[in-house]
Amino acid sequence: MSAERIDAYAAALLEIAQAEGKLAAVEDELFRAARAVETNESLRSTLGDGTIPAARRAQVVEQLLAGKASDLSVQLLSLIVGAGRTRELPQIVDALVKRSSGARQLEVAEVRSAVALTDAQQAKLADALARATGKKLNVKVVVDPTVIGGLVATIGDEVIDDTIRTRLDNVKSRL
Amino acid sequence: MKLFSVVLAAEDPTQSHHWLFPEIGEIIYGGLASLAVLYALYKFGWPAAKKALISRTATIQKELDASSAARTHAEADAVKIRTALGDVAAERARLLAEADTQAEALLREGRARIAAEVADMEARAEAEIGAARARGSDELRAEISRRAARATADAVRAALDERTQQELIDGFIAKVGAGK
Repeated sequence: MSAERIDAYAAALLEIAQAEGKLAAVEDELFRAARAVETNESLRSTLGDGTIPAARRAQVVEQLLAGKASDLSVQLLSLIVGAGRTRELPQIVDALVKRSSGARQLEVAEVRSAVALTDAQQAKLADALARATGKKLNVKVVVDPTVIGGLVATIGDEVIDDTIRTRLDNVKSRL
Repeated sequence: MKLFSVVLAAEDPTQSHHWLFPEIGEIIYGGLASLAVLYALYKFGWPAAKKALISRTATIQKELDASSAARTHAEADAVKIRTALGDVAAERARLLAEADTQAEALLREGRARIAAEVADMEARAEAEIGAARARGSDELRAEISRRAARATADAVRAALDERTQQELIDGFIAKVGAGK
């Protein structure tokens, strides 16, 4: 998929979310959904399978996100999946987040954690990262069990990693 | 028989003055005739005979010379043939010696090459055995480390309760906030 098309999808999602006044929520929900699609091969294959009717794929999305995301997010995600752009979903959502953050003069900070963070923890984390990097950040938290424990934050090219997985990898390398 | 009787009758001694000598006139005429014949022979026959003799002598001499030349030529040819035979023998000997030398050199070279190839193959085989041993050892080590890491990860994951997870998160926030 071309960068122009990805950008066009992102712009469309941004416009709709802004028009509905739910940009922050949609951005967060789509970001988490995109990371789930990115890391889950079976989910990616199922939603990206062109032989399955678009309505059925949209139904799968609705079932997966029922009660976990707003209706708008579910509908937007169903739109992308129904259009056969499941494999490009992570790039589209990344472009959306980048556009949204750029409009607010924020830089995206992707944080991965083995468990969900509370709102208070997210606020503290955003404040701590902003102080550490000297940038205004749009923090996106992704629950990723593969990190095992701790957090890893990626802000542009900068990575702050204090996860159990990395420590274990270091031990493994030494072994 | 009749002719014989006539001859005998002609030779009858009783018809001559002497039974042995002829008549004087006969001697004279006979002698003159003989001289005339001899002269004629000398005058006309001798030059031709002499010429024939000279010619014959020249022919014989020529044949002798030709024979001599042929002999000389034959002897020269014989010498050449003998020389050529000698050369052929020498050439044969030289070729045989050269062939022997070349065969020896080829044999020596072949032995050296085979020895080098065998040595190379042995070295390669040893290197491959060493590499396979190292590879096997590395693979075993890697597998052990993979399994150990997986087991460690599982053990750590099982040991991480909610409280510890929160502590890790808070610890990260505190460290980042402190600028570490």
